[in-house]
Amino acid sequence: MKDPILSVKNIEVKFKVRDRVLTAIRNISLDFEEHKVVAIVGESGSGKSVFTKTFTGMLDLNGEVTQGEIWFEGKNLCEFKTDAEWEQIRGKKIATVFQDPMTSLNPVRTIGYQISEVIIKHQGKSKAEAKKEAIELMEKVGIRDAERRYDEYPFMYSGGMRQRIVIAIALACHPKILICDEPTTALDVTIQAQIIKLIKDLAKEYDFTTIYITHDLGVVANVADNVAVMYGGQIIEYGTVEDIFYDSRHPYTWGLLSSLPQLGLKGEKLFAIRGTPPSLFNKIQGDAFAPRSNYAMKIDFLKEPPVFHVSDTHWAKTWLLDPRAPKVEKPEAIRDLHERMVELTKKGGTYGKR
Amino acid sequence: MAKYILTRIVKACLSIFVVVSIVIVMLFTMIPRTKVMDLDTSYRKMTGDNKTVYRLMRYDQLGYLDYVRLSDMCKSEYDDVTACMINGSTENKAVIEKYESNGYVIEYLRNGTAYGYHDYNILELVWNFWSNLIVVDNVNAVQDENNPDLERKIYIGTDYNGVPAVMGSGTTHKYLIYFDSTFPFIHQNWITFNFGISYPTKAGSLTTDVINEGQGAQVSILQTFPTGVEMESPYNQHTAKYKYTLDHLDMQKFNDNYADCTSYYESPSMVNTSYIFGIISLIIAYVVALPAGMSMARNKDQLIDKIGVVFINVVIAMPSLALIFFIRQIGANFGLPDKFPLLGFKDIRSYIVPMIILAVLSMPSLMTWMRRYMIDQSNSDYVKFARAKGLSQREIFSKHIMKNAIIPIVNGIPASVILCISGALITESAFAIPGMGKMLPDAISKMNNNMVITLTFIFAALSIFSILIGDLLMVVVDPRIQLATKKGGKKNGK
Repeated sequence: MKDPILSVKNIEVKFKVRDRVLTAIRNISLDFEEHKVVAIVGESGSGKSVFTKTFTGMLDLNGEVTQGEIWFEGKNLCEFKTDAEWEQIRGKKIATVFQDPMTSLNPVRTIGYQISEVIIKHQGKSKAEAKKEAIELMEKVGIRDAERRYDEYPFMYSGGMRQRIVIAIALACHPKILICDEPTTALDVTIQAQIIKLIKDLAKEYDFTTIYITHDLGVVANVADNVAVMYGGQIIEYGTVEDIFYDSRHPYTWGLLSSLPQLGLKGEKLFAIRGTPPSLFNKIQGDAFAPRSNYAMKIDFLKEPPVFHVSDTHWAKTWLLDPRAPKVEKPEAIRDLHERMVELTKKGGTYGKR
Repeated sequence: MAKYILTRIVKACLSIFVVVSIVIVMLFTMIPRTKVMDLDTSYRKMTGDNKTVYRLMRYDQLGYLDYVRLSDMCKSEYDDVTACMINGSTENKAVIEKYESNGYVIEYLRNGTAYGYHDYNILELVWNFWSNLIVVDNVNAVQDENNPDLERKIYIGTDYNGVPAVMGSGTTHKYLIYFDSTFPFIHQNWITFNFGISYPTKAGSLTTDVINEGQGAQVSILQTFPTGVEMESPYNQHTAKYKYTLDHLDMQKFNDNYADCTSYYESPSMVNTSYIFGIISLIIAYVVALPAGMSMARNKDQLIDKIGVVFINVVIAMPSLALIFFIRQIGANFGLPDKFPLLGFKDIRSYIVPMIILAVLSMPSLMTWMRRYMIDQSNSDYVKFARAKGLSQREIFSKHIMKNAIIPIVNGIPASVILCISGALITESAFAIPGMGKMLPDAISKMNNNMVITLTFIFAALSIFSILIGDLLMVVVDPRIQLATKKGGKKNGK
């Protein structure tokens, strides 16, 4: 792998919740390549957001990175103690776009104020310069008549427009990395597509690395170069988007793909992974997914699987890849995923844009 | 916007009308009217016809009934009343019969002279109050038989200091609009409220005058009177009203009939006393409580927050009387007076302890709300995003959270400021401060109905309009709030 812009090594995150300790992230290592789009997928509670929050020191007060290193621009972010140090990274080098644009903006400050505030703070520009730049940014993210709308308040904007503003704010300082934490979940389908396209176009123009957090595999297929699948506080499979969609190896990834509603056949029940995610309060023995897996072996309950490399770009943590494991086939529903997707698109669907 | 404010004002007036009307009806119909006279010492000493006539005149004056003497009855029918005034004459009987058929109760004095009275019913009571409430001074206001040549005009002249003023002749007040050195510098007597007279306390004075009257000894000021006499006098010439019968002292000073002046007093009126205490303690409370609440929110669950919570709980849990006496005792240990009159209005030490008490009493709720709003805001998404933007904690607090948290506080400020005039009953009693706090309870216990109505009107009007001002203020500080009469107007957002 060449030029990792951000390199995560063995990090572990713990939260203190009412005198109990919860391990949200268990020993993750991952390198983020420059200019690539990485999608982190997984169900709710798998630790996707917590994982990316460690890059900007945005963990809640009861959370803590207990071990590991995060290397960015020659610095180990885990050694940061003060907010002042983090402010050099947050918003300036690594920006975040949150899920709900309706509440991400201060309702009683003007849009213009909220954009230029960042420019003034991080680039040290004057108010007038900041305003000029903010208006340019607003135009770039597709706000028409930006000059006039500069002095308007968030309630005068629609949800999609607010998300555009949030993106404009995130890009105000030309960050190296943009973390998009479910940027389209709160938006309706047509706006989702526009926002995704916007982020894609801006990534080219502003030359940043994008990290998507989503549980929408449609978005993943559309935008991602690489995909990391998370489960129970770990990345259990990582590969290029093709690797994950067409050659996935982990039973959880299979389950996730089988659950795509688009793959459901009329009259048949939709697939759902049985059971619930493990409690992170308890120490997890073996493979976290084993109790819910149809392919679990004895060793899955005893010992944590190591990383098995499938190819240069593709690895997974499952005992099924061990040479000693019995040969198992992927579930039928996703066996010829590519053909089925093509089939779906042919019918006039909008594959990938859902 | 204008339309909205207008409807709000109309609604406010309607509410005041309803509240005051209910109070009027309750006072006039449910309190036995004989009790009203109980505290009148001169009435108690009277006997016979005198007593009856005095009582009826008082009732008439207070608005209970319409009292007519024989001469009044006769005057309404005949130009020449001599025949009518003879008891038993045909004219006399005709007039009495006419009044009786109009619903008047006719009774006779010992000498056989008839008199009548008519009790007002509920509608008449309410109508009489509201129709007489607003008095617009006009050139025909004075009808003096002894002064037929009175000039009737409104003109711009100069007052006794040579300052221009709008003046009147034939009007009740001499100065309709005038300027002086006291706040708000421009004053008017043109339109006045008439709430009737105070009785039995301060019998005969208008209730508004009683409320506004200064206290303590009168203060004489060297001034020049219209006759050119220069002398020390407590008269405030700007308040000159038409006086029907002048005595030689009046004539010495004034060359017309406008000789009825109120006086300058050493100490402020009850309203002003309460207001001085109220407003300063309010400022102290806001200046201390808001930053305290903010720092509690910023340091949630840390030492400052815990100390604040203990303070709030102690002040709220302790009976306010106990707290007042406690702080008063502490003050006494520092040599501060425990009674206001000990050092009086002129000594600043009289004010310190009561003001601290009033401030302390109003601080807990302000602190709690400020803390709560701040914490509410700190947990909102836009604050997380502001952090992600790279703003420091301090910037987030000062540029984002503060403004949002202060909005609900702003709404209550006008009410707090305006309602200071209602005084603080317990604190004022504990320190024997001559303020407004005791006025309403006193008026109720002394059966001073007009005073009760006056105070009801003032408090109701001030409360309602201060809420209106609070709402208007919200429009200024919160862009999301817009004034619209229509439901479901443009009120998007959170």
